[in-house]
Amino acid sequence: MTRRGFFRKVVIGALSGAVGIIVSIPVIRLVINARPPGRLAWSRVGDITSLPHESPVAMNFEMRSAQAYMHQLILRDVWVIRHAGGNVTVFSPICPHLGCHYKWDPATGHFECPCHGSVFTVNGKVIGGPAPRPLDTLPHKIENGALYVQWERFRVGIPQKVRI
Amino acid sequence: MMRRIWAWFTEKWPYYEVRDFLLEEEIPGPPSYAYAFGSLIVFLVALQVATGIAALFYYVPTIDHAYNSVAFLRRQVPFGWLIHNMHYWGANLMVMVLAMHMVRVYAWGAYKTQLTWVIGVVLLLTTMALSLTGATLIWDQKGYWAGEVSTSIAGEVPLVGGIQEIVMRGSHTMGQLALSRSFVFHVAIFAPLLALFIGAHILSFRRTGIVGPWEPSKRYSKSRFWPDQAVKDVIMASAVFFIILFLSVFFPPPFAGAADTLNTMYVPKPEWNFLFLYQALKYFKGPMEPIGAAGVPTILVGLLVILPFIDKDPERNPFKRPVAMACLFAYAGVVVALTILGYLSPGLAQMPSPAAQGKTAVHAKLPGAKRGEELFSIQGCTLCHRIHGKGGTAGPELSGGTLTGKSRKWVIDQLKNPKSHFPASIMPSFATMGNSDLNALADYLFSIRTAPTASLPPPLPVSVLSKAPPGIMVIPPDTVPGSASGDAAFIIGSAENGAKLFRDQCRQCHGAAGKGGITDPGSSIGTIPALVPLSRALFNPDPDIFAGNIDKYIQHGAVPPGPKPVFYMPDFGDSRSLTQQEIANIEAYVLKLNGVDRGGLQNPGLKPADFLAGAAIVFAAAIFLAVVLSRRRGRGA
Repeated sequence: MTRRGFFRKVVIGALSGAVGIIVSIPVIRLVINARPPGRLAWSRVGDITSLPHESPVAMNFEMRSAQAYMHQLILRDVWVIRHAGGNVTVFSPICPHLGCHYKWDPATGHFECPCHGSVFTVNGKVIGGPAPRPLDTLPHKIENGALYVQWERFRVGIPQKVRI
Repeated sequence: MMRRIWAWFTEKWPYYEVRDFLLEEEIPGPPSYAYAFGSLIVFLVALQVATGIAALFYYVPTIDHAYNSVAFLRRQVPFGWLIHNMHYWGANLMVMVLAMHMVRVYAWGAYKTQLTWVIGVVLLLTTMALSLTGATLIWDQKGYWAGEVSTSIAGEVPLVGGIQEIVMRGSHTMGQLALSRSFVFHVAIFAPLLALFIGAHILSFRRTGIVGPWEPSKRYSKSRFWPDQAVKDVIMASAVFFIILFLSVFFPPPFAGAADTLNTMYVPKPEWNFLFLYQALKYFKGPMEPIGAAGVPTILVGLLVILPFIDKDPERNPFKRPVAMACLFAYAGVVVALTILGYLSPGLAQMPSPAAQGKTAVHAKLPGAKRGEELFSIQGCTLCHRIHGKGGTAGPELSGGTLTGKSRKWVIDQLKNPKSHFPASIMPSFATMGNSDLNALADYLFSIRTAPTASLPPPLPVSVLSKAPPGIMVIPPDTVPGSASGDAAFIIGSAENGAKLFRDQCRQCHGAAGKGGITDPGSSIGTIPALVPLSRALFNPDPDIFAGNIDKYIQHGAVPPGPKPVFYMPDFGDSRSLTQQEIANIEAYVLKLNGVDRGGLQNPGLKPADFLAGAAIVFAAAIFLAVVLSRRRGRGA
């Protein structure tokens, strides 16, 4: 190969590489992008004074969901367990295994997930199936007998409760 | 003139060179239908591209409109049903034909060409990716959950999981960004990649040529791709095309209901072509699961990739390759067995783990509890009383601590004569029930109360009924007469899921399958209206109008006319106790009970059966023409 020919190939390679890098790095950054969790708002779930004690109840509530440019009023649900002392436990309805919605089975007194068969006690402890951690609790407060929660999501499939 | 234009064109453009490159191929031995699977896949891909592009004229990739845009295509656009159903069935057949193609190539030992096989494995993965992303685009229950679970599994993979999840979802949750990405991956990345890899696959295949029969004696006679093999390919493709038409006409995919994370009556399960993975992952529990999530697909695909580099023996006769054929049967056997197991698995909720089964004692201890639970539902108790948070609010919740400390006699007295304990009670008397039934009800009520606690029973809520205006026609209490139907009226629901929701939410009052029969003594008709047959004022053969008519009642509730009705229709929509998607499913079910198909075609272009008949006539004419022309030519020669 002549020196001139070699020089030309180097120029072709270098310039093409430069264009490629300049375009691809921004594109990769654009694709691999997930915003950190935003500020959490309190959503009013509803009145809990008439709830039974120690028995889970699914409560629906409406909240404004915002993802990127999509703002919607949507329904969410949480599992609420009212304790005798006046405290409540609020479970996220999302199975910590792979994100399905689990159900309460009053006959067995357990939470069960229909997707892959995880079973939880009323306290959220895993007693069967593949779930890697207990049910996720949500931050909540009670004002004038009404329950407020902060809707959060956590990474599924891992033993740690990591907010996303 | 035409001839001169043609001569000009072929002079400027290498038409004959391209044609000969594509069609001139020598085949050792006779042509065979066994070789037609490859061409068949090219045909199916072309069909998917054509129907996919046609669907894109209507499809909208947003979470608030995707499902409805697909439903519009299917019901309101002329031949939209055909385009959608062909795309659906074409995709399913594509996966099946791909499997047959691979088994054929394996049996003939054709994978020993190495590179062609490896590109083929890449094509298989691209097809599976298209299958998954395509299902998500509909944003129905099926596709939504397939997306949710599959991206969660991808997120579990050690090291790269986090990045995989972000690339697939665009965020950490399944929302608009995830749908956008499924759309881009399906339409703009995987579909073009599939075309590209098919090109590479064919070029690589043409370099080695078709391997032909394994017996050397059969390889001496030569045939050509064009037209010897091509005619078999076209006949096979036409037959499969007709099968797709037939399935599209007579087996349209059901409407699965719009994506809804609150509807727990829906049990997510993957499509048939992913059931083997779903089942395989069940064997990896707890901390082992990420290993399974990454390991199972890696091993299954890895085995395919390394195959031609392990088995280098030039022998191609399957009867002289016992080990290789045993491996084929083992591999296929594992995948098929896992698929069948996955298909049969009822969603594990119905077979709880042994740990869970040990604690069903509450019911077992009280013999009548099961019967009592039935009675509780049949007698309409849930209208006023909540159990575990479900039911009406006119009376107190009965699970939990309300009945703590009460004796069986107290409960039965209460059932027979409610005013004996609470003079102002509006609860009807159930004295006409037999003693055994009353005892069964008491058994049930005791079985659901919690262990004695020191708590006080909750205060009796103010009766909703006392607010009901006496003797006024059926008007939603808090809304203007004729108020608009809600979003649910415009969503095509799933009647199948609606049936489950109906059993849970509506049967207590409207009876099994909407046949009615529950008495409401204070109302002027005396019973809760049956839904089958439905009042003529609400029924309409047009599913859109019909759904809109009943939607108002489900959304806003209603109070029956009469001096003192005991029961009223709750406002499922306004109270947010059901989602719009769930209401749409219930509406689809009520329509079905009345013989109206919620997903019925509004503007089909041609009735599907007529269309199929027309297609059959076109095919018959084509075959007739081919026979006549070839006979005439035969005589002439």
